[in-house]
This record gives sequence, C-alpha cells and structure tokens, in this order.
Amino acid sequence: MGLIKAATQNPQTPVANEPEDVWMLIHSLSDTDSELRRMAARDLGGVEQAVPALAEQLGQERQRDVAEAMLAALGKTGSEEAVAALIELLRSNDAWLRNETIEVLKGMPQAIGTHMARLLKDPDPDVRIFAVNVLESLRHPQVVPWLVQVIEQDAHVNVCATALDLLAETGDESCLSALDSVQQRFSDEPYLQFVAKIARDRILESKGRKS
Amino acid sequence: MSTLSKAVITDDDFQKFREYFYRKTGIHFDDTKRYFVDKRLQERIEQTDSADFRDYFVMLRFQAQGDELQKLINIMTVNETYFFREEYHFACMVRAMLPELVKRKAPGEPIRIWSVPCSSGEEPYSIAIYLQEYWPDIARYDVEIFASDIDTTILDQARRGQFSRRSVQNLPPPLLEKYFTPAQGGQHFDLKDDLRGCIDFARVNVTEAADTRRFRKVDLIFCRNLLIYFDDHSRRLAAEAFYDAMSPGGFICLGHSESMSRISGLFKVRKFTDAIVYQKPLTGEKVQS
Amino acid sequence: MKRVLIVDDAATVRMYHKGVLNAAGYETDEAINGLEALEKASGQAFDLYVVDVNMPKMDGYSFIRTLRQSPHIRQAPAMMVSTEAGEQDEVQAYKAGANLYVVKPVKPEQLVQCAELLMGAEH
Repeated sequence: MGLIKAATQNPQTPVANEPEDVWMLIHSLSDTDSELRRMAARDLGGVEQAVPALAEQLGQERQRDVAEAMLAALGKTGSEEAVAALIELLRSNDAWLRNETIEVLKGMPQAIGTHMARLLKDPDPDVRIFAVNVLESLRHPQVVPWLVQVIEQDAHVNVCATALDLLAETGDESCLSALDSVQQRFSDEPYLQFVAKIARDRILESKGRKS
Repeated sequence: MSTLSKAVITDDDFQKFREYFYRKTGIHFDDTKRYFVDKRLQERIEQTDSADFRDYFVMLRFQAQGDELQKLINIMTVNETYFFREEYHFACMVRAMLPELVKRKAPGEPIRIWSVPCSSGEEPYSIAIYLQEYWPDIARYDVEIFASDIDTTILDQARRGQFSRRSVQNLPPPLLEKYFTPAQGGQHFDLKDDLRGCIDFARVNVTEAADTRRFRKVDLIFCRNLLIYFDDHSRRLAAEAFYDAMSPGGFICLGHSESMSRISGLFKVRKFTDAIVYQKPLTGEKVQS
Repeated sequence: MKRVLIVDDAATVRMYHKGVLNAAGYETDEAINGLEALEKASGQAFDLYVVDVNMPKMDGYSFIRTLRQSPHIRQAPAMMVSTEAGEQDEVQAYKAGANLYVVKPVKPEQLVQCAELLMGAEH
C-alpha cells in the first residue's frame, strides 16, 4: 500500500505494420466496442485504403471521441478522397461534427486549397460560411484574395460578415476598395458597417506608418 | 533596419495582436500589460529582422510550423518549476479527485498518476510528498507515479533528486526536514532515497504515439505548462494521447493560464473548490443527429 | 449590475455585442467557445448568455445542454445567435435549453430588447 514503483515494461499494443493488420483495423471500425473503434481509427491515419470505410462509418458514428479520431485519421491521410469525405461533412446536421470538420480542414492547406474556390461559391450559404471559417488558420497564399472575392461578390450578409471578421485581422491595402463596396451594399446592417470600419482603420493605420 | 529605433506598436496593432494571441492561447492581455507586450513584440520584430509590426504579424500568422508563435509564448509567459508549485491542484487531488477515483477502483487495483513534463522532478516528487502527508487514505491504496519528459538530461537530474534552495522554498519547513538532507551547508537539498525510488521516470515525447502507448488506465494526469507552448497540431496529438491513456472518469490538470478550450473538446469541465480540472467522460458524448 | 456572457469565436462579433450591451448598462465578459464559457460560468455568476452556434471545441448547442445539466452553475436565460435560419436549428436550440433564438446579424435595438426581455428591465 502507499507509493509503489510501477512494474516498468508494459506490453506494447500492436501497430499496423503488416497489410493484414490494415484490413483487421478497417474491420474494427465497425466493432461494437467504442474503444476498439477509436483505437482502430487512431491507427488508420495516413492509410489511404481506409478512407471509404472511415467516411462510411462517420455517417453513422454516435460516439464523439470515436468520430473525432476518424476525422483526424482522414485529416492525416489528406488524399483527394479524404478531403472530399470531409467536405461532405460540412453539410452535416450536427453542429459539433461540422465544426470539428472545419478544424481538421484548417490543417490541410494544400489539400483543401484546390477546392476552396469552388466551396466559396457553393449554393448553400452555410457551406460558404464554413469555407470562410477554414481560412482562419489556413496557411495558404490565397487567403486574403479569397476573402476579398467573397466580400465583393457574395450576396449573403453572413458570408460577408464572416469574411470581414477575418479581414479585420489579415486585411491589407488590396482590400480597401472591396471594403468600400461591401459597406455600400449592406448600408443598413450595423454589424457589417462596424466590422468593415475596423478592418479599414487597421489597414489605413499600418499603411500610414509605412509611408 | 536601424538598431536605434524600435518598431512602433500602435493601439490597433496591440488590439489585433491581443485578439490573435487570445484566440490561440486563451491568455488575455489587458491594457495594463501594454508595455510588457510591446517590449517583447519589439524584441521579436528585431530578432526576426522584420521591417515593422505588420510584416512580423503576417509572418507570425502564416509560418508553417508555428515556431515563432511558440517563441513568443515562451517570452510572454513566466515558467519556473519548484516544489508545490500551483499547490491548489494537489489540494484538489486529495480533497476531491482521489475520493471520486477510488470509488471506481476494484480491490487491489492501483491508482496511476502521470506527471508530464516532469522536468527536474519537482512535480512528481511534490505529488508523492503531498500524498504521504495529506491524503488520509494513502495507506489503503497502491499508488504508481509515472514521470516523463522529452529531455534525457533533465530526467537524469530528476532521478538524482538534488535541488536548490530556491526550488524548495515553498515547502513547509517540517516537510523539508522530513524528506530532504541538506548538503554543502544548505546550498542544495538531497531528496531522501525512499521517495526518490518510488517514481518511474521515462523519456517520452507526448506527440509520438509510439512513446505514449505504454501509458494505459491512468487515473490522473498533471500536464501543467506544456501544451501552451505547442502549436495546434501538437496540442491535438498530445490531447489524443492523454485521452487514450486515461481510464474513463480520469482527471487531467492543466497550468493556471491553460485551458482545454484551446486544445480539445473531448474532456468535461469539472469545477471543484480548489481548482477547475478536466475529466474523461465516464460514458462517451454522443453525436446529436 | 447585470452581467452578460458573450460566447462567440469571432472577435469582432464579441466586440460589437459588448459595445451594444455596455452602452445599455450591462457588464459583459467573453468566451471564445462553449468550453471556455463553461469555465467562466463555473467561476462567476451571469444573468444572461448570448451564444453563437458554430464554434470550435464546443458548439453552442452543446454548451447550453451542458449548462442546463450543471447544478453548480447558476442557471440564467440563454439566447442563441446564429447564422442559420432553418426551423430545425431553432427547434434544436429550444431542445438544448435556450430561451430565445435570433438570426445574425443582430441590430443593436434588437439585442437590447432581447436582453431586457430575458433579464427583466432593471439593471
């Protein structure tokens, strides 16, 4: 009793090295034991053959910790198929799942970059909003140009508002005329005027210091 | 760039930086911290050869590995280790967390505690001392304390158990006398052997699944003032490793300016009198639709 | 003085709501997502929660649901503020335990009226 020194070497759990292991793990994705499903998902990150099974299981997974591991696995794989599966999840009815997906996509600049232009023109304004959310931490050179494009062209006030919030942090001189036009388009929306002004003031102030 | 002139940080710059830093770390700098923040930003602007705040901020946001953010966090936060640092967690351990944990233990099942990073050992040894001194039930249960760090040199130091006066200054004198032997006329304090012997030290990188696999059925994790220095990706990996290592219902304590709100949504918030800690749910949270 | 907790991941939305509510005589605090909101609410009493839906780590519905199941947190009205205008979203909000559901962007008068409605007129 009391403080005891642990018996050191704990047995290692098997890692997916052999090809057969991969199929065993994929099979475990639909096991009734949630811990097994989660551990299988953890081990299948980066395994391209697992993507269809992960996507399918995500459609019916009820445990958040398992779903999170599956999303992370898709994120780690980063293949076209994985990105496509993640993009579909942006349309989920579950707020937690949508937002978790956004977090995963934020960490995949190359993979999501090729889809971004299209997502920003999706017919569903919510999907467009989520696409703008992904831009928040996306390390991609097109982030500011995409945001400018949104505030110039998007008809939906909340899509523009989301883009403006991000431009308040990332905006530069290239945004100024787009800021003018979005303020004119939504002249009766106080929040939009508020955030556009913040973005403009910050840009002008740093521009002033440069000259 | 002239070394005579420091970069100007305008009010808007400060505001923009403050929002970004708060989003990333949860640390909010109020206006009274302006001088403190400006000074450190100016330091980093100069050290990174950035032309001005604007250039520096763009670099900070877009850098691939997030190294600069980590450097910045390092200089914006104070980090030292000493015995009984952030003692409220230890008080919470004996008053609230352990009483809950033992209810779920089968007879003979040990309680597992993990201190990470253990650095030079102050934290795991503090846990051991606190349990011996302040947990009335210590004699009734087996307790295993694991301590890990990524740095093997500091682990060797931890195993030696020799501490400076500064490191032990927070300990009540009777405990100092009971558990340490002074050396070199009170310049150092050597931890007595029986306490040194009960900690299992190991080299572990928490972002490497291969390293963390050996930790299972852990009941209580102390991970204080580590994750704040990680980038988003590493934090996620570490949080996953901890989640997998813990038994359902297990607890994890973060540092005083850290929060799971910047790290992971898998843990429940538990508020106790002494501290707010996080818990792995007993049964999984459900996806709603 | 009545205190409002503003829960939204967008910094400028928090600033905007804060400005409106402070001008109307309410004290405010902020959280970036539901998890931080739970931490703050565990430590201080609030009279109203203004809660966004889509936030990382813990969304608005999860926050309100957890709030309503937390006996140690003072129960106060919660108004959800969302970009989504669907009926199912509103139903989900009420099922989670929200008292009001409002679609963004919110005009200042509307926010103040809702706050007064939910908290009562005195400050």
